[in-house]
Amino acid sequence: MIEVDAVSKYYTSGFFSRIRTYAVEDVSLSINRGEALGLVGESGSGKSTLGRMMLRLVEPSAGRVVFDGIDLRALKTPAMRQLRPRMQIVFQDPDTALDPRMTIGESVAEPLMVWQQGSRHERDDRVLELFAMVGLQPELADRRPFELSGGQKQRAALARAIVLEPEFIVLDEPTAALDLSVQAQILSLVQVLRKRMDLTLLFISHDLQVVEQMSGSVAVLHKGRIVESGRTADILHRPSHPYTIQLVEAARKSEEWFGKQRGNHGSGDEV
Amino acid sequence: MTRNAFLWISVAILALYFTVALLAPFIAPYGATEIVGAPLQPPDRGHLFGTNDVGQDIFSQLVYGSRVTLIFGFCSALLSVSISTCAGIVLGYYGGNIDEVVCRILDILMPIPIFPLLIVLTTFFNPGVVQVSILMGVLGSIHGIRLIRAPALSLAETPFIEGARSIGATDLRIMSRHILPNLMPVVTAKFVSSSQHYLVMGVGLSFIGLWDTMTVDWGSMIQNAYSSGALSLGLWWWILPPGIAVVGISLALALAGYSLEESFNPRTEVNRI
Ligand SMILES: Nc1ncnc2c1ncn2[C@@H]1O[C@H](COP(=O)(O)OP(=O)(O)O)[C@@H](O)[C@H]1O
Ligand SMILES: [Mg+2]
Repeated sequence: MIEVDAVSKYYTSGFFSRIRTYAVEDVSLSINRGEALGLVGESGSGKSTLGRMMLRLVEPSAGRVVFDGIDLRALKTPAMRQLRPRMQIVFQDPDTALDPRMTIGESVAEPLMVWQQGSRHERDDRVLELFAMVGLQPELADRRPFELSGGQKQRAALARAIVLEPEFIVLDEPTAALDLSVQAQILSLVQVLRKRMDLTLLFISHDLQVVEQMSGSVAVLHKGRIVESGRTADILHRPSHPYTIQLVEAARKSEEWFGKQRGNHGSGDEV
Repeated sequence: MTRNAFLWISVAILALYFTVALLAPFIAPYGATEIVGAPLQPPDRGHLFGTNDVGQDIFSQLVYGSRVTLIFGFCSALLSVSISTCAGIVLGYYGGNIDEVVCRILDILMPIPIFPLLIVLTTFFNPGVVQVSILMGVLGSIHGIRLIRAPALSLAETPFIEGARSIGATDLRIMSRHILPNLMPVVTAKFVSSSQHYLVMGVGLSFIGLWDTMTVDWGSMIQNAYSSGALSLGLWWWILPPGIAVVGISLALALAGYSLEESFNPRTEVNRI
């Protein structure tokens, strides 16, 4: 479905742009149709840059991105635009993912407006249908983003992402900014949508456990390079690269810690 | 008093000015240049603000003069802010080399003082009000371009703009439907402050006789009275009405700008007086 071949992205700085900083360096990976790939790595490891390059929202400095047999970098802007409804992205921060001046309903309907799909009435119906799919109350359609909770905003962002029925979605840490309980709800929503729409996913996260829930295979990004990739279960239990070992250990520790927190919380509720 | 009250007061004052300008022929008892009586009559029932040195009705001149003064101020501001907004959004959104080059050019142009430049230009050409207004609008937009460009640049980098690109929205749509609406607070504030600026400047330009001195506006009225020594002769009714009119609208615009600042910027809420 989507294939990344020796892709790099560097940013230049300094006098005459002579200093190059690599955000992503020589990365290759591929995702088959209907599959989900997890992408883990610490903050600044280049996850977002890689995800955006796969949608050509960021122009790669080198390498090829092939979507369903189409070399994205060879496309001119109008042709790329025609392809956009087939691929989408959901961002990390729900607060900046929606235009603050638009109502939630307008934001979800915007892709339909852009592609002039349906009459006004049909669009309204479709928006309500999507609201139901992602678990938003219909009356939220007239609200603006600041009136919604983080979880609600992320549901709206998901609705907007799937309104054009894409085949491939990049989820860039979609739950990193949410509370644990809301996080679980959004993750299961993504699972439901994925099955229902037969989506191909790139699931970005800095949390191995979340990735374990979401995808069978994973690639570990460290300083812009993929240091390990394979089945999630294997990597979680037998990490080979020193960086992955660190990552797994950190995940274990936080699991213990969160476990205790949840325990305390539970007993607190009973009182 | 809250700033909201200030806003309504200023809107009411501005509405009054606009009504007068719009309905000038119905409000003014005489024409602006019509000679209607003895010169230098003090105010009485027939001439609300008396007459000037050639026997024109000052009240009628004030009413008709509002048209030139207001049109000059608001049209220059509209032109200037339109240019600033379009250019600022395009530069901020596309960024890159064009942005860099244009910003360098603006840096060079910015310190050029407009007022002296205008005076130099008018010694070579003989412009009317419209030409001066256009020139002022264009020259004055330089500062505004930088003012609008900065927030446009940071908006262009927010995820929801990237999200709009990812659904296939065209650049034109992104700039007009997403960036512009989010910049409206800045644009409106700039328009209000520019209007005040241009309006006062228009009166000043007319005062120094930059355009056709036969045009009746508040600047030329003050100039006439001033150069004839109205002040030293105690002919207050000749010079005070246009003076107060200018100060009044300028204050109203300043008040509007001040109160808009709060409604657009929630962070100033704490500073409410
Ligand atoms: N527009 C940019 N200009 C310069 N450097 C950038 C830019 N975008 C990202 N980077 C750099 O690229 C690296 C990877 O960033 P990112 O892909 O956002 O990482 P992650 O999503 O894993 O946290 C970071 O070091 C970041 O500073
Ligand atoms: Mg990121």
